[in-house]
Amino acid sequence: MSRQVIATSHAPAAVGPYSQAIAANGFVFVSGQLGLVPETKQFAGNTVAAQTEQALQNIAAILEAAGTDLAHVVKVTVLLADIVAFKEMNEVYSAFFPTQPPARAAYAVRDLPLGALVEIEAIAVLPG
Amino acid sequence: MPREVIHSDKAPAPIGPYSQAIRSGDTVYVSGQGGLVPETMQLVGPTVAAQTEQTLRNIAAILEAAGTDLAHVVKVNVLLADIKTFAEMNEVYRTFFPVNPPARMTYAVRDLPLGVLVEIDAIAVMPD
Repeated sequence: MSRQVIATSHAPAAVGPYSQAIAANGFVFVSGQLGLVPETKQFAGNTVAAQTEQALQNIAAILEAAGTDLAHVVKVTVLLADIVAFKEMNEVYSAFFPTQPPARAAYAVRDLPLGALVEIEAIAVLPG
Repeated sequence: MPREVIHSDKAPAPIGPYSQAIRSGDTVYVSGQGGLVPETMQLVGPTVAAQTEQTLRNIAAILEAAGTDLAHVVKVNVLLADIKTFAEMNEVYRTFFPVNPPARMTYAVRDLPLGVLVEIDAIAVMPD
């Protein structure tokens, strides 16, 4: 099976030894994304809302580079630094998936890299 | 689609009700592995570096039993007991994936089974 590295300058460069995404078997596996602005490598803001929006914009950019989009995401994992932020995350999240949203797991972890408030990964399929 | 249980004596026996890996079609799902030495079922050492190396060797052994290898891994989750070990883990991790590394998500959790310092699971595809 072909295994293709996906890379785009419209999303943050990796902060470790991983690819932004790998496409294989008709699926696109997107690495966990933080709310980092690609151009500055800084967080988009210190709120869960701002970081959620940036993380999902980063995922959208990576999916575009892979030839698919948010509407073709099938599974998402949302990691929060604090479960109290669940509702705030959801309000932003729902704007990116207005209809027929993906399957999802969301939970709070002990710590995220770089002190992030939210990290989001996604698995998508390629269109039609 | 057929669902095949993968087992290797060169990786730790499961410590709970799970298989080391399941192959379905061209995809292999490897269970979370820790730094246990298969022969002794003891932790290889008290450092994240040693445990990361043993964990990835265990994954490599399971992938070999499934007919694939680390170069065909598409997605990894790295769970740390302490986010401060992110860099130490990465230094070992990158030697196992020197080029075109898989997509990945890394985070620190509250606790891991058996008190391990790192747990890693993976999804791989089969070679052409």
